[in-house]
Amino acid sequence: MKQERIKDLFKDWRVLTLIILLVLSVVAIYPHFDNKGNLTTNLQYGLDLQQGAWLQLEFQAEVVGYSTTEPVNSFVTNLSKTLDTDVIVVDTNHLEIRKYYTQEQLESYFEAEGGKVISYQPGVSKDTATLVKRILEQKINTMGTKDAKVNTLTGVNNVARYVRVEMAGVDMNEAQQIVGKQGKFEIRILTTGNESEHVLYGDTITSVQVPTKDTSGNWGVGFTLSDAGAATFRDAAIKYGATVDPDHHQLAMILDNKTVYSAPLSSNLASSLQSEPTRNMVASTGTGTAGQTQATNLEIHLRAGALPVDVKIAGSGSTSASLGSHYMTMCLIAFILALIAVAFVIFYRYREPRIVLPMVLINASEIVILLGFISVIKFQMDLPTIAGLIAVLGTGIDQLVVITDEILHEGIVPSPNIYLKRLARALTIIVIAAATVLIAMLPLALMDLSTLKGFAIITMMGVLVGVIVTRPAYGKIIMEILSE
Amino acid sequence: MVLLAIALVVLAFVTVTIGMPVKPGIDFSGGTAVTVITPDTSDQIRAVFAGYPLVSISEGLNNGKFITFGTMDDTKYQSLTALISSKYPDARVDQVGESFGKTLQDQAFIAIILAFIGMAIVVFVAFRTFIPSCAVVLSAFADMVMTAAMMNVIGIPLSLGTTAALLMLIGYSVDSDILLTTRVLKRQGKLNDKLSGAFHTGIIMTSTTLAAVTVLLVVSWIGQIQVVEEISAVLLIGLIFDILNTWLTNVGILKWYVLKGGGK
Repeated sequence: MKQERIKDLFKDWRVLTLIILLVLSVVAIYPHFDNKGNLTTNLQYGLDLQQGAWLQLEFQAEVVGYSTTEPVNSFVTNLSKTLDTDVIVVDTNHLEIRKYYTQEQLESYFEAEGGKVISYQPGVSKDTATLVKRILEQKINTMGTKDAKVNTLTGVNNVARYVRVEMAGVDMNEAQQIVGKQGKFEIRILTTGNESEHVLYGDTITSVQVPTKDTSGNWGVGFTLSDAGAATFRDAAIKYGATVDPDHHQLAMILDNKTVYSAPLSSNLASSLQSEPTRNMVASTGTGTAGQTQATNLEIHLRAGALPVDVKIAGSGSTSASLGSHYMTMCLIAFILALIAVAFVIFYRYREPRIVLPMVLINASEIVILLGFISVIKFQMDLPTIAGLIAVLGTGIDQLVVITDEILHEGIVPSPNIYLKRLARALTIIVIAAATVLIAMLPLALMDLSTLKGFAIITMMGVLVGVIVTRPAYGKIIMEILSE
Repeated sequence: MVLLAIALVVLAFVTVTIGMPVKPGIDFSGGTAVTVITPDTSDQIRAVFAGYPLVSISEGLNNGKFITFGTMDDTKYQSLTALISSKYPDARVDQVGESFGKTLQDQAFIAIILAFIGMAIVVFVAFRTFIPSCAVVLSAFADMVMTAAMMNVIGIPLSLGTTAALLMLIGYSVDSDILLTTRVLKRQGKLNDKLSGAFHTGIIMTSTTLAAVTVLLVVSWIGQIQVVEEISAVLLIGLIFDILNTWLTNVGILKWYVLKGGGK
């Protein structure tokens, strides 16, 4: 090929786009040697390919659409009593019931209290799901696990049924322990100076309410003590003088040996404790957004890592370090062999290195661009994704075959006009085929079918990269080569 | 046609016996799968897991073992994982609860049906002629049904991975049908020339994919990567049926349609 033609080729916008994208992808993948001298990249691997464990937890709760003729407050209070669990108002038409009941059971309970069940969905509201996510993240952080992800899977109706926890570097047993572990919560009273005395442990707290704002704009978290706990609390408050001099005998709440809250008894509470024990208390955290944030944190602390809703293990998995790296090697081998096999088939068909070489290179560049994309969105590659990538390799080359054959049809060197017509026809075939793949993968990409979502997105991206970037560029390149 | 009928009968038979057209794997029915590389024999492994609902042990090359368990409650499962991490610290464990499996299964069915309908719509919009579009859709349908029947015959369970493979098949099996239909309907020339030209291109298209998938199957079989092995096996079966369906069924219908005077 003449120098000039090559120059022209590089000026073509289709070829230019391909080259720019390739360079950007290599930058994004960023292959480099780490400080141990091993070759690493920016690619992130899922738990299939490195040591780690995941747990998928199912909420034992449901969100119920309802209507009632009773006043909402008393209806909810009564319902909470008969159902023996927290009932949270999600919005005007929905309640969250934090215990597992079937729809039939709930229907009869609702009817007894003067209400009606309109809809029933297993799961929790978005807010509760976010709270659970924060509690789990906090727990995992205190364990010092290096790389962990907590995701709630929220459906289109804003009801979350599952929460998924992924932790790198731990085995299944450790993962279960971390998620199941509760912190040690303690309430102490300041005696003299900085000295304090133990009053209660977290086990005497029977329930914790969601943060609320009182009429003067003060945020606070209500909690309830058991009868014995309430009595102990009163005795301690009187004994150490917190009831007569609250300001010098503050209450401190301690989680895992760290003070998370301290405040004096309110004057109301101090005087009422003189005469009788109180089970219901409110820890107030101040006004405004700061007060609200603190209240949300305090709620988590009061629960000492216990989740507001019971969960059941719905699914889990783990990969050991050695199997992970074994899979990784195998995938790499499969990848290279697949590329060679494809090249071999193409060579068998055309027996013309000038056609085969660009084809294989374009094919490989498609994969590089995809990998670049994967690095940018920080998608974690897992085994199905890699299988998908290899399938893209096989089908990507299909479409290059369509272009080549269409152009070669009826004699080699076509004039530019005929060439463009033929390329357009080849591209129609490709676009229709690509559209079917996109449509076929769309449901998967929109659903939360655990690991398959990523796989679908990657396959769709592969199709798009092929149709928009690499195939038009290939058309240009192959024309230059053939018309030589 | 005969093959399609046989395949439909197989699926119907399996549906009647187990309630689903393809036998579900643990992803959908619930259960635990353990992959481990160990020189222990199946009997030794059976002895280790005596107290647990062990379902099957399959052996691969290089001492790879793939062990499946039925569903069990949380406490039992925790003791199982403790046992696995002390006995086989290098194992890979995957577990799916029964209700979660059911949710996944429902979603997977919806995904396959939606994908199929979506594909049919694209095909009809693209060709805007009834019979050729039907031929493409029928051929894709036959691919899926025959592949699903074959999965039953050789014992590949329906899992998340194989669902993905079936979905990929919907997309990829229509590739060659679209090539064929476009060539025949939109190109000038003799029908038989167009058919043989399309076949020439189409068979290479399928062979490249076959080559990539075969490599994947062999490597994952040697390397004991169960998920990838199942995905590539399903794709391989599907592609082989696709050759039949495209170049026999679809060509047959298209030829009849053009000779009847439907083409240009």
